[in-house]
Amino acid sequence: MNNESKTMVKYHPDARFLTDFSAGTLPRAQALCVSAHLHYCAACRTRMRELTQLGSELFLLQHPAAPSASAFDRLLGKIEVLPPQSSTDATPDYPQKNQPKREELPRAVAKLARGSLDNLSWQKIGRFFSYSRLPVSDAKHESSLLNIRAGSRVPHHKHVGDEITVILKGSFSDSEDNYGIGDFIVRTPGETHQPVASQNEDCLCLVSLGAPIVMSNWLLRLLMPLINRPRYG
Amino acid sequence: MNQSEYSEELAYPEDNSGLWTSCIARVAEDRDKAAFRQLFDHFAPLIKSFAYKVPALEQPEVFSEELVQETMLKVWTRASTFDANLASPSTWIFTIARNMRVDLLRKSSRHIVNTVSIHADDSNDDSLDMEDLWFEDENSDVFNQLVQQRTRTMIRESLLKLPSEQAFILKKVYLEDKSHSEVAAELGLPLGTVKSRVRLAMTKMKLILDR
Ligand SMILES: [Zn+2]
Repeated sequence: MNNESKTMVKYHPDARFLTDFSAGTLPRAQALCVSAHLHYCAACRTRMRELTQLGSELFLLQHPAAPSASAFDRLLGKIEVLPPQSSTDATPDYPQKNQPKREELPRAVAKLARGSLDNLSWQKIGRFFSYSRLPVSDAKHESSLLNIRAGSRVPHHKHVGDEITVILKGSFSDSEDNYGIGDFIVRTPGETHQPVASQNEDCLCLVSLGAPIVMSNWLLRLLMPLINRPRYG
Repeated sequence: MNQSEYSEELAYPEDNSGLWTSCIARVAEDRDKAAFRQLFDHFAPLIKSFAYKVPALEQPEVFSEELVQETMLKVWTRASTFDANLASPSTWIFTIARNMRVDLLRKSSRHIVNTVSIHADDSNDDSLDMEDLWFEDENSDVFNQLVQQRTRTMIRESLLKLPSEQAFILKKVYLEDKSHSEVAAELGLPLGTVKSRVRLAMTKMKLILDR
């Protein structure tokens, strides 16, 4: 891109999301969204490193608790029987010390898709939308990938639960702003909006929805006006 | 509020980063068990304490010992990936312990109780570990050893000066495996109050910039 501002992420997770993520307490579906945002956002990765430093300072302030007397010997026993290749180094994709590439899918999404989005099972709804439910969920949220055909308009809808959207490809806009790759967009219950995918390319989003909402029902309700033939009724 | 489980005097142990860095290097290069023992003696008790803080564990002793084993085993196998330019030894080990704690909890019964699957077909749980979600420290000129040291000094100095209600919540979030929402529920405070206390603390430590 020749225009630097076009590649800048505008919408970031707030302090609460970043803190809970760095502490490891963010619900899993939401953690997946923050992780996807971090793939695109160097500023938040820096925040995350600082917050982890904070965590480690708190860790050092704890009262130590002595491990069992045999703990170290047991550890040595495990080390003795490690297979040779794992005794020295890590899995090939770890650690991630280079800056992630913007044109690639976030690492966690790529792993779920086993490298290619075509490996996922996609449900088509009408001509303009398809989604793939991801197996990452927690008590209150679930996650999906949603693909919106270029130029399509999502019907006006009301949010019933917290919803996080991270754009992975393309862009969309609503009455408030334009959103691009990496943007982390939070909608709270009661807010309404009407996103429109940009004309020139499909928009692929990672979405975390507040449960219990069955994804297909939610999408059906959302997309009903667009469906010509009620194939999923 | 019971704060006795944390150091009252709020004094940091002597900074032995240089020693731990050389221990990790000896483990990586020479598979040096004496150096590994030094790391173990210092960090294992902190890891065990960190494990014990998880509330409502069915078998806290078993869980804590397991976290010590799993974390220190990773320290051994991953030692060659440690880079002092990217993280201090204690931050590196804390990160491993935290990721491992999340993964162990998820795989334990606590996870099954807390996250009831919504769909029948969710029984094939995803294979993502914390490492898949986490970003290792990366090579970049904006985050080097100097910045790391400065951040640490800033955190240490301001952490000791934080009002106790803010420090208390930070400890709950970072050490006790509780999200903002869970801390709010436990203390009977609105979520907004917990969020603003954390935010105030972060602002004092200059960790969250207002955007
Ligand atoms: Zn960001």
